[in-house]
Amino acid sequence: MKFKKFLAVALTAAMALSMAACGSTGDSGSASTSDSTAAGDTATSDSSSGGDDKIVVWTLAKDLEQFADHYKEKTGKEVETVVIEPADYPTKVQTALMGGESEPDVIVGEPQMLQDFYDNGFFEDLDQFGAQDYADQVVDYVWKVGQDADGVQRAISYQITPAGIYYRRDIAKKVFGTDDPEEIGKLFKDYNTILQTAQTLKDAGYRIFASDGEMNYFSGDSAWVVDNKLNVDQSRYDYMDLAVKLYQDDYTAYASQWSTPWYQAMSGPIPILSQDIQSGSDDSVNVWDSENFEEQTKDLPKTEVFAYGLPSWGVLTLRDNVKDTSGSWGVCAGPSYGFGGGTFIGISSQSKKKEAAWDFIKFCTLDEDTADWWIEKSEGDVVSLKSVLEKHKDDENPVYGNEKLYAFWLQQAEGIDYSKVTKYDKVIGDAWGEAISSIKTGASDKDTAINNFYDTVASTYPDIEIQR
Amino acid sequence: MKRQGKPVGFVVNKTILYILLILLAALCIMPFLLMMVNATRSGVEISHSFSFVPGKSLGANYRQLSDYFNIYRGMLNSVIVALPATFLTAYFSAMTAYGLAFYKFKTNKLIFVSILIFMMIPGQLSLIGFYQLCTKLHMVNSYLPLILPAIASPGTVYFLRQYAISVVPRSLMEAARLDGASELYIFHRIVLPLMQPGVATMAIMCFIGNWNNYLLPMIILNKKEKFTLPVLITTLNAATDLQSNQGAIYLAVAISVIPILIVFCIFSRQIIGSIASGAVKE
Repeated sequence: MKFKKFLAVALTAAMALSMAACGSTGDSGSASTSDSTAAGDTATSDSSSGGDDKIVVWTLAKDLEQFADHYKEKTGKEVETVVIEPADYPTKVQTALMGGESEPDVIVGEPQMLQDFYDNGFFEDLDQFGAQDYADQVVDYVWKVGQDADGVQRAISYQITPAGIYYRRDIAKKVFGTDDPEEIGKLFKDYNTILQTAQTLKDAGYRIFASDGEMNYFSGDSAWVVDNKLNVDQSRYDYMDLAVKLYQDDYTAYASQWSTPWYQAMSGPIPILSQDIQSGSDDSVNVWDSENFEEQTKDLPKTEVFAYGLPSWGVLTLRDNVKDTSGSWGVCAGPSYGFGGGTFIGISSQSKKKEAAWDFIKFCTLDEDTADWWIEKSEGDVVSLKSVLEKHKDDENPVYGNEKLYAFWLQQAEGIDYSKVTKYDKVIGDAWGEAISSIKTGASDKDTAINNFYDTVASTYPDIEIQR
Repeated sequence: MKRQGKPVGFVVNKTILYILLILLAALCIMPFLLMMVNATRSGVEISHSFSFVPGKSLGANYRQLSDYFNIYRGMLNSVIVALPATFLTAYFSAMTAYGLAFYKFKTNKLIFVSILIFMMIPGQLSLIGFYQLCTKLHMVNSYLPLILPAIASPGTVYFLRQYAISVVPRSLMEAARLDGASELYIFHRIVLPLMQPGVATMAIMCFIGNWNNYLLPMIILNKKEKFTLPVLITTLNAATDLQSNQGAIYLAVAISVIPILIVFCIFSRQIIGSIASGAVKE
């Protein structure tokens, strides 16, 4: 009986609630009131009110919310931002836009998603709004990433993400007698030199990297696909040899990127794990479960790690993790140019407020004052406007021994050749990485691994010509 | 000696048993405890080391969380979706199950088989089509597409049909009919109470499923103030610096688990209470 009463009450409540939810369905005018009254009105959110010329931004980066607030402050125009989890962002945008959704006016993308978005026609042509007038003001590679296969401008980014090598100045002084970024850069100028550097560091009791994946962003200075043919350049094999050597000759601390010891190595000595521990075949230490990490590793020898390879956003990652070693870091160039990540903003092709959306994009990406404000606000993000980078070129960063980082990043970004980037990079790169890890752990020999790699590429992209 | 022998063995047995049970309990509680503790630590602390000692960042995490969204609003949204969906599922599935189990009509078999077949099709397959349908019906950005489909839940019907056959005696219904009860009356007053434990079990499952449902709300809802809890929590991953939000994520998850615990407590008492009682005396 009690249950029945409960059920009756609950059903009534359910109906009332769903009525309230119903209300907000079609006509948004009267509905929003009934919705919020029934809901007990917790959020008369700033974005639910506002005029009709309000534009809607679907983003995967929280940054844009701050941009939107700043935009409102400056221009008084409303922008509603909807933040969606990065991993699910493509699903959301694809489903919605293919379903004919016209709500988002501004959509964004990361480099690896952009090609698909272009191919599906999600981004509006920005050239019709005069985007090309700004071509010279933005760092070249970022401008190119925003273009589709026909060279039409579809998206623009407010930031650049060139990769660099972050190293410990104090260790550099002890081992190499100098901490000058120019000089240290020479120690990383090609893969063979890196191996020598690694040996020198090992002899001195240090490890060059925490993981063997640090050179990933510099992993090959050539395009994966040229004229529809798979192109495995010599530099790819060199990188493969480097990664295998780093692993097999004990040059790293066998920490996986983003695992506990990888972070710990930023602030001081860490235990040297073994190959077996990293691969999981020795389960006496679990690197992902920091639970008993200290206890389990107390008998292992300790070492300090010399360098990390990360894109420019690594500046912030290190800043938050270096603790006592703050100030004794430096940044230098790697063996090749590379970049990772970045948020690109464009107009949805189904938007009904394209002019307003273009105004917002211009404000975020092409406005010097905004870029200035963003450098201040983000505490170290690297913007894409050349003039602003120029202006901040003498800014010194105390965490990195007062190095002038903006000048450095600009220089690195100018070296990136975007023609070497293809839409196949993610899949082919992952397959290559797979081959490398099966060789380094001895799971298969080089020929088998490379053959498997060809098979993977052939089955994923049947159209690509492959010469084995 | 003889008198002591048995109690000693008994005590030893009990001790072993209790040690095992305590270990098991600890194993089960550990992740929850860890979640609670991590909710009080900063992102940097979480990725550097592990500890059962609470940190000092609860306030900071909460501010971080509030900076992103109003978690209580998200919770309310989740309740608005999960409660009606659960009751629709429970009520209509029980009704369908009862019908399929006890009424003889021509297409009974056919309907049951087609329900079985629909159980096999994953909903994600038709995502784009579903979105298009919702656009045409002007239901994007509303909770209706999340609630209404709950009426038809093949899995629950299947379970409850088998359950109804095993717990509801035909003789009870015949008795009711002789006394002049209408069919709906029989269902509401006799069958539903009998099926209560099964329905409650399915309701728990359904509530948890709806509470944790992520894909559909993520696709259907386009307004931040309408996002349900899981969709909101994942937006914490959208920060430039992933690590800094770890503490806030733990805190958000910890807060979001509370309603599930409450619902489970309510219904589990129902289940245990009802299993003991029966209706027909043999």
